[in-house]
Amino acid sequence: MRGRLASRKIAWSLTAKPDEELIGEVLAGDAGAFNELSTRHRPRVERLCQRFFSDPEMARDLAQESFIRAYTALASYRREMPFGGWLRSIVINLCYDELRRRRRRPEELVGDFNAPEVQWMHLVNDASPEDLVGDAEERREAHDLAHRLLDTLRPEDRMVMVMKESEDMSVAEIAQTMGWSEAKVKIRAFRARQSLRKQAERMLAAGRDR
Amino acid sequence: MNCFETRQEFPALWRKTATEERRAELLAHLKSCAKCDHAFRVFALTAPVLYSATEPGGRIAIERRVGALARRGAMVSRGSTWQRQMVAMCAGVMVLFMASAAAYLSVTVPVSSYSDEITNSESALDLPAADTSVMGNDFAG
Repeated sequence: MRGRLASRKIAWSLTAKPDEELIGEVLAGDAGAFNELSTRHRPRVERLCQRFFSDPEMARDLAQESFIRAYTALASYRREMPFGGWLRSIVINLCYDELRRRRRRPEELVGDFNAPEVQWMHLVNDASPEDLVGDAEERREAHDLAHRLLDTLRPEDRMVMVMKESEDMSVAEIAQTMGWSEAKVKIRAFRARQSLRKQAERMLAAGRDR
Repeated sequence: MNCFETRQEFPALWRKTATEERRAELLAHLKSCAKCDHAFRVFALTAPVLYSATEPGGRIAIERRVGALARRGAMVSRGSTWQRQMVAMCAGVMVLFMASAAAYLSVTVPVSSYSDEITNSESALDLPAADTSVMGNDFAG
C-alpha cells in the first residue's frame, strides 16, 4: 500500500511542472497556475503555522494570508532561491508579526490543567518512552500542553526554536530570514532552550503532585 | 551509546526515523540512565509540536527528494539531444528489465509466498538512520 502511494507520488512528481515554470506562467498572466502552486505548498505551510498557533482555524487563516502575500510579491521572487524557501520566509515573518501583535504571553505557566491534560502529564511521568512516542500523536492534550509551554517563550525565542528544531534551519539561514546577526540567533536559541527546560520541569513536577 | 549521542537522537526516536537497531540501543540506554530518561520526558512535553512525526525527517524529506529528482529530470529534458537520448535509453532498459523480472516472478514464485517473504523480511523494514547532528537538541540537559 505504502509502496503504491509512493510510486503514485513519484509518477505525479515526474509529470508535474516545476515551481519555477508555474511562477513564470503566473507572471505571464495565468493566475490559475498559482492555484497549483498553492495546492502543492499548502500542507507544509499550514503545518508550519500550526507550530506557532494551536488554533487550527487561525493557522489556516495565516496560511491563506501567506499565499496572498506571496502572490502580490511574486514579481520580486528571485529564481536562484527555491520557491519553498522563499515562501517559508513569508510565513515565518507573518507568524512572527502575529505573535508580537498578540502580546499576551504568560511569563509563567498557568497551572489550571483539565483532566485529559493531567492524564497526559501522568503518562509523561510514568509511561515507558516507547508508549509516549506512540501515544502523543493522537492526543490533542499533548499538543495543547506543548503549545502552552511554547507560549511562555518570547516571540523571538519561539521563532528560533521552531526554525531550528522543527524546520532544521541553520543559524545562518535563521539569521538571514529574520534579519538578525548569527550571534543573536545563538543567544536566543540558548535562552529558549533554558526557559523551556525550566517550564517543562515545573510541568512534570505539577503532574507528579496531582 | 553515551548520553550526548542519546540526546542527539531524541528527535529521530520521536519521529520514528531511527533504525530498529538504533531505536533498541536508545531505549536500552534510556532504561539504564535515569538522567537521560528524565531528559526524554522533558523533551516529550514539547515534542508533539516541535517534532511531529511528519516533519521534516519523514514525509517532507521524501517530498524534497522526489522534488529534486523531478527538477533534475526537467533539467535533463531541457538539455541537449544526446542527454535526452541517454535518458530515453536508460528508461527503456529499466522498463524491459522490470517487465522481464515481473514475468519471471509470476511464473516461478507463488504470489502468497513472495508477499510473505517481503513482509517478514527484516531487511525490508530497515530504514536509513536519520541525520540529526545539526539539530543541537540539548535543551533537555
